[in-house]
Amino acid sequence: MSVLKLNVINLEKSEYTGGKSTLCPGCGHDQVSNVIIQAAWENGIPPEGIAKMSGIGCSSKTPAYFFGKSHGFNTVHGRMPSVTTGANMVNRSLSFIAVTGDGDTASIGIGQFVHAIRRNLDMVYIVENNGVYGLTKGQYSATVEKGSRKKKGEANAQPPIDLCAMAINLGCSFVARSFSGSKKQLTALVRAAMGHRGMAVIDVISPCVTFSNNDESYKSYNYVKANDEVLHLLDYIPHFTPMEEVDIPEGEYEDIEMFDGSTLRLETIGSDHDPSDAMSALKAIHQAERENSHVTGLLYYEAGLQTADEVLGLTEAPLSGLSEAEMRPSRQSLDDVNAALRAA
Amino acid sequence: MEHIYNDFTINIATANGTGSQSSNLILLNSMFQMGVPVSGKNLFPSNIAGLPTWFIIRASDDGYQAPGNKAHIQILMNKDSWRKDLEKLEPGTLVVYNEDVKLPIDRDDCPAFGMPMTKMARGINPKLARLMCNMYYVGGLAHLLGIDEDVINECVSNQFKGKEKAIEFNLRAIGEGRAYAAENWADESPYHVESRDKDPDTFLVEGNEAVALGAIYGGVNLLSWYPITPSSSMAESMIEWLPELREADDGGTTCAVIQAEDELAAAGMVVGAGWAGGRGMTCTSGPGISLMSEFIGLSYFAEVPGVIWDINRVGPSTGLPTRTQQGDLSMLYEASHGDTQHVVLIPGTVDECFEYGWKAFDYAERLQTVVFGFSDLDLGMNRWSTAGFEYPSTPMDRGKVIRTQKEMDAVANYGRYRDVDGDGIPYRTLPGSGLDPILYRGTGHDEDGIYSEDPDVYYATVSRLRRKIDGARDLLPAPLIREEEEQQIGVIYYGSMENSITEIDDMLESTGLSVSTCRVRALPYHSEVEGFIERHEKVIVLEINRDGQLYGILRKELPSNLLARLHSVAYTDGIPPRARVYADKILETLEVAA
Repeated sequence: MSVLKLNVINLEKSEYTGGKSTLCPGCGHDQVSNVIIQAAWENGIPPEGIAKMSGIGCSSKTPAYFFGKSHGFNTVHGRMPSVTTGANMVNRSLSFIAVTGDGDTASIGIGQFVHAIRRNLDMVYIVENNGVYGLTKGQYSATVEKGSRKKKGEANAQPPIDLCAMAINLGCSFVARSFSGSKKQLTALVRAAMGHRGMAVIDVISPCVTFSNNDESYKSYNYVKANDEVLHLLDYIPHFTPMEEVDIPEGEYEDIEMFDGSTLRLETIGSDHDPSDAMSALKAIHQAERENSHVTGLLYYEAGLQTADEVLGLTEAPLSGLSEAEMRPSRQSLDDVNAALRAA
Repeated sequence: MEHIYNDFTINIATANGTGSQSSNLILLNSMFQMGVPVSGKNLFPSNIAGLPTWFIIRASDDGYQAPGNKAHIQILMNKDSWRKDLEKLEPGTLVVYNEDVKLPIDRDDCPAFGMPMTKMARGINPKLARLMCNMYYVGGLAHLLGIDEDVINECVSNQFKGKEKAIEFNLRAIGEGRAYAAENWADESPYHVESRDKDPDTFLVEGNEAVALGAIYGGVNLLSWYPITPSSSMAESMIEWLPELREADDGGTTCAVIQAEDELAAAGMVVGAGWAGGRGMTCTSGPGISLMSEFIGLSYFAEVPGVIWDINRVGPSTGLPTRTQQGDLSMLYEASHGDTQHVVLIPGTVDECFEYGWKAFDYAERLQTVVFGFSDLDLGMNRWSTAGFEYPSTPMDRGKVIRTQKEMDAVANYGRYRDVDGDGIPYRTLPGSGLDPILYRGTGHDEDGIYSEDPDVYYATVSRLRRKIDGARDLLPAPLIREEEEQQIGVIYYGSMENSITEIDDMLESTGLSVSTCRVRALPYHSEVEGFIERHEKVIVLEINRDGQLYGILRKELPSNLLARLHSVAYTDGIPPRARVYADKILETLEVAA
């Protein structure tokens, strides 16, 4: 991608940046923040139309470090999906981009994660997954692999919860896994997720440099780098870029059209993976788990599922902008209500 | 024989899930349509079918709505509660019973009226006999009390609207019951109903439905809820009325309804809706409030509007899920960790349920905080009289929301949490507007919404919050005061105690006391409440809970020179307040205080 000064809506990238990070130097989460900034800028999303959402924890602090021109809500631990649901219902014109952690998603807020998927909430849900509770100084989370070891203390004895497998089983319409060190792959996935209508879950392995970046941790930088099975090479072609101008990669590829008309191009390497096949996706995940490796790329995709706001049959205009006349029924209608109750 | 008109209590003992609610409502509605001042209380178990349930109907020309202090007529249909129900009766109570239960009436001192109700019901439809037999006591009572036949017919038609077969069967059962009673029951009843001039505008409605309609007229944009007795019927009423009342020109709805995965999520959705500029609400009961507490604190501290209705049932814990209490008041007032204080609206009538249903949103958006509506099972799930709901008297108050750059320019020195106007209430902008965006947070923040742990900043923030909510007391509904000239005894009460207060007041005055009453309708309490206390020598705080929760709040906030006048009378057993019980406790307390 050539370096542009202005994006399609004539904004500089600085319009998408935020405050200075207070995370540990070298934290993978900051790389994810940079990818989010890059993706939104390249996609030309108006910053004021974005709502950035988060829960509690290191990951959930990051919305302070991107999209300084967007409203955001750093909510409570694990319960970001419900706040996003309420906000989405009253203003369906907003683009919801959420960042949470594995504590939020796989433990305290697992119920809200599950039900947001079940409702197909129209949002991008990025999990910055490091297998530890960072802000409380390094306890294991529920996504850490059995036998994985952090810098101090015992190895983890419990099996992990695989968020991608869970999301696929629940019928999530966009499920991907990536690595905070894989900037190109992650950028393409975040851009595609932003173009998707419905719930897009991206589980980003993002090593904790302070508590579990030792090589005995299966989520350390070196371990993931060495054990990352890439399903596809990804290229994202935005809807505003004519297809002819894009270099067609060599080898086999598959194009996936996003809701907004953009295209996610998957160049298949190694074994074929059809992202519309949930069983194949689950097989790839379980196979990788057995081999203590991580499979990355777009795991599962299904277009055209009804989103939460569509299911409810809301009026077209955002409810937050309705006038009193549109929200309060007429005086005559109350007379009719009273009459109906009298006759009941 | 002495004849008593419109002054008696009927206790109907049946089993849950046998359709007796239809029979009871037909009785209640028939008497109401005749203009008899009547109230009904459903004492039901936490069970779908099988456990004992009682329905209490009280007729009272004095307008007393409390459950009567004793039963004058006892209906016995349920073998499981039969013996106990009989034992409790005072001599002279009329007993109407189903002979087919085959249990003895071993009370010589009570006139008994038997009818083979199940056998007769089998004659109409053997499969439905278990349900239909309940219509026979309606017929029997209609005969004993003199309930107008045409009125009953109309009530049956309304009850089973559109189901012709059901109307036919039930009318036949009632008719047979009436005929059997006329033929076989030798004794006369001293109790009778007598038609009164009924205001044609009045009807009976549940408090929950009144709140639901009020919220719809208050412009609710999001209802998120998780089923819990006794609040579910509020959400279900909204679901029923919304299509008719809140459809936009394009055919879409202007209110989203989501049955949430739990109460935490229900509250989170309300916060999300308020943050994005919509009017969100949820309804629940005490256990739900416990779960929502985390979000209640977020709403308070991040200053996000939202409305939560608590329909109180008996706590603590799962408690008595189908019984009534005022046990959640102090929890609501200070819900969530840290120092908090919340607005609580406390309706005492179905008209106020409707009114606070819409007003709650105005207060929430004006004050940018969570506002509670506080009702209970008695007010929420029983039927009360109204002459019709009144259209909102004021336009919607959307509060201090800056929607355009021009409005922003007009606010000098804007900061999301800066007290520009000196009333403790800051201005806010909405997501999507691009106007001075911030990252909302439940963590410490300065006047611009930036994260801060600075001691002075923290203290200034929580002090302003205190000023904002505490300072709003006189914006909220004023108490309803009925004051005697001789200012001897004052009784402060709230909520559904309204239905018992007239009778309690009459009982107290019959002992020669002069009693004024003051119904508190919101927290933080209005300054007129303090004035009322100042004017009375002794003030009773009367509540349906164990610990005297409003009493505790008053003791904490009143000037210390007034505290010696306050006396708590608090009692709860799950049953709506019987006047005699509370009047006696007030008299005892006054005696001790004398």
